[in-house]
Amino acid sequence: MIIPAPITALASFILPGLGQCLNGKFRRGATLFFSFSTALGLFLWRVATTAHREILWSGRFAKTFQLEGGFLIVVGLGLIAVWLLGIWDAWKLAHLNKEGKRQGSPWLFVLVLTLFFSIGWQISEIDLRKLGSEASEAWVPLSKVLWPWEASYDAVTNTTEASTTILADPNGTPPEIVPAQEGQPSITVFPRKGVLSSLDENNDVVPGTLVTVRGKGFFPEEEVQLWWADAMGNEFRPRYESQYVTTLTDSAGAFQVKFAMPYRLIPPSATGPHIHTVMARQIQDTGEIVASEPLKLTINLIIETIFMGMMATFFGIILAIPVSFLAAKNLMSGSRLGISIYYITRTILNIIRSIEPLIWALIAVVWVGLGPFAGIVALTIHSVAALGKLYSEAIEGIDPGPIEAIQATGATKLQTIVYAVIPQMIPPFVSFTIYRWDINVRMSTVIGMVGGGGIGFLLMQYIRLLDYKAAGIAVWFIAVTVSILDYVSARIRERFN
Amino acid sequence: MLEIKNLSMTYPDGTEALKDVSFTVEDGEFLVVIGLSGSGKSTLLRCINRLLDPTSGTILWNGTDATSLGHNQLRPLRREIGMIFQHFNLVKRSSVLTNVLAGRLGYASPLSTLAGQFSAADRKKAAEALERVGLAPQARKRADELSGGQQQRVGIARALMQDPKMILADEPVASLDPVLAHNILGYLEDLNTESGITVLCSLHYLDLVQRYATRVIGLRDGHLVYEGNREDIRSMTDAQFKDIYGQNAERIATGSITGGAPS
Ligand SMILES: Nc1ncnc2c1ncn2[C@@H]1O[C@H](COP(=O)(O)OP(=O)(O)O)[C@@H](O)[C@H]1O
Ligand SMILES: [Mg+2]
Repeated sequence: MIIPAPITALASFILPGLGQCLNGKFRRGATLFFSFSTALGLFLWRVATTAHREILWSGRFAKTFQLEGGFLIVVGLGLIAVWLLGIWDAWKLAHLNKEGKRQGSPWLFVLVLTLFFSIGWQISEIDLRKLGSEASEAWVPLSKVLWPWEASYDAVTNTTEASTTILADPNGTPPEIVPAQEGQPSITVFPRKGVLSSLDENNDVVPGTLVTVRGKGFFPEEEVQLWWADAMGNEFRPRYESQYVTTLTDSAGAFQVKFAMPYRLIPPSATGPHIHTVMARQIQDTGEIVASEPLKLTINLIIETIFMGMMATFFGIILAIPVSFLAAKNLMSGSRLGISIYYITRTILNIIRSIEPLIWALIAVVWVGLGPFAGIVALTIHSVAALGKLYSEAIEGIDPGPIEAIQATGATKLQTIVYAVIPQMIPPFVSFTIYRWDINVRMSTVIGMVGGGGIGFLLMQYIRLLDYKAAGIAVWFIAVTVSILDYVSARIRERFN
Repeated sequence: MLEIKNLSMTYPDGTEALKDVSFTVEDGEFLVVIGLSGSGKSTLLRCINRLLDPTSGTILWNGTDATSLGHNQLRPLRREIGMIFQHFNLVKRSSVLTNVLAGRLGYASPLSTLAGQFSAADRKKAAEALERVGLAPQARKRADELSGGQQQRVGIARALMQDPKMILADEPVASLDPVLAHNILGYLEDLNTESGITVLCSLHYLDLVQRYATRVIGLRDGHLVYEGNREDIRSMTDAQFKDIYGQNAERIATGSITGGAPS
């Protein structure tokens, strides 16, 4: 029966897709109907959530137009276009039907795809301009990440120090002088008591007593830094005339420097004589370098990461082997009970596998607490599922031919297993296992981000502290480790083909 | 001597693959089993060395009833009967040498073979077997690196390791081209005439049957439907052959396989 074109067009006017159905194109109609209503639903949902304070739809549209005009116009017009094209398509189909042709035009679906594409574009806040406009800001951290090696070492220094005491009170008795040891650097301060700098009511500095520090027995012709420690032992570098107090030693290793006693806020609760310490320090570069803290931490954690992956793989293998027997169809299809165990095991494995290790890590962190063990638990769970499936497929893939050939030689059951079954199992087992280890190490580099131990935790911390060089060291180590492992695992798997 | 009496075999799914089959194989015969795909040839051969357990009937191997043997008593029976297969059934990833040595498992001490150890005598025997099938240089290669014809020769060498009195060959040349087919059957013929090993072989091509068989039995739907000696086969016409095989039987010379795909 051929339905007149205007009626099918009218049907599509009332309900997109209905006209197509009337023309006998049920799949086309259903596709149009479901995509149109999905798009419309997304559109209305977005409008309603954008203007969630408005009660009336008119108000909602107005508010959305203000806030997200682009979305409203693009998607709104797209919806109207699909609707109109749907009507035109129904009309056209009716004519094609009359001429006996079956094929409708694809343009309707190109438009539907475009509509969904534009919804996706709007919802995911794609803003290509940002790729250019923010690039300059990304360059600074990126360059640090790409070449972080200055942060990988610290210079070893040698500090020569001498100290003496001074009373921060003009009226008391200065503390006794501890005589300097022979051959050691020493300093004296004069006068041995005085007033600290202070702040007046305008917060201007009122300089304290001028003191002269003399030193001898230091390395000749090198910089000396003056340091100060208050009565509570807090060290700081005093400034005089807004410069840190420093000087050079003469050729005999002696120096003399004059500055005002620094400002220090003394808490009112402090009691007893205010005995402060004056120190002179020479810091020399020995030319040696040692691994910096970030480098050491990174190395420690990359080792932890590799072993986390290894332990998880190890536990994974041990648990996956028995599971794989339960999930192998050729072993379980003997009885009804067997086949139901097979289906149950398969289903559980599939569910576990479909949950990302990162999510298992979140669960494991709650379960066993922060740290590498949580990561191992998470990776083990995922490995059991993944390996269990792969192993069971390896078991299912065993060729029965060699087994019967070995049996036919008069071999015992055990001999048959050793000569016909195991040689067939080992290669896939090894290659799946190595591959899994590779994946597990890779996963354990990110699992730390949710507290599961390993290097991800450190990396996350460095990024939060904006310490891009330290982060860069971690990134480099991850990249190198993962690529080495990738290469090694590929080579091993090649051998076991 | 092998005497099969009233042998029947029904698979667990109810398929009756052999129905009351009786025949005798004299020592030194080259007996060929012919029959359509699905007629029960493989089932018959596998019952003889008890890879399958027949449902009823007896299999007398030099006076011993093979059907009465328990699974632990099969070792002496099986090691006297070598077997080669259509798809060679080598352990593909093991070396040629390991595959050949495996033929000795029925004799070797179970414990040491589990660790991969074979006696010096066994190793020497393996080298000789490989020499005999012309594959000595290939000993260290992986089995699946060899061509089909070479793999079947490895299969023969493996069977030779058993010092067999009889060789069961289940369509040994069905996956090889005609030239290789003659090569492989030539080896079997040598073993048969020179070493006096009885051969029980299923084949698909009439001219191969005529060329190699000293006696022929034919199976159809699990029944023994034909028995003939050398002269009977030589004079057998295509029409008679088709009677056993069905209408699409052909000679190898025309290039196509008889009775549909071998299985
Ligand atoms: N494992 C099995 N389970 C059930 N039926 C089988 C099995 N193997 C073979 N059969 C059936 O037994 C019959 C004989 O098969 P087979 O001995 O393989 O014949 P042939 O080797 O002559 O082709 C066929 O009908 C086949 O479908
Ligand atoms: Mg067969």
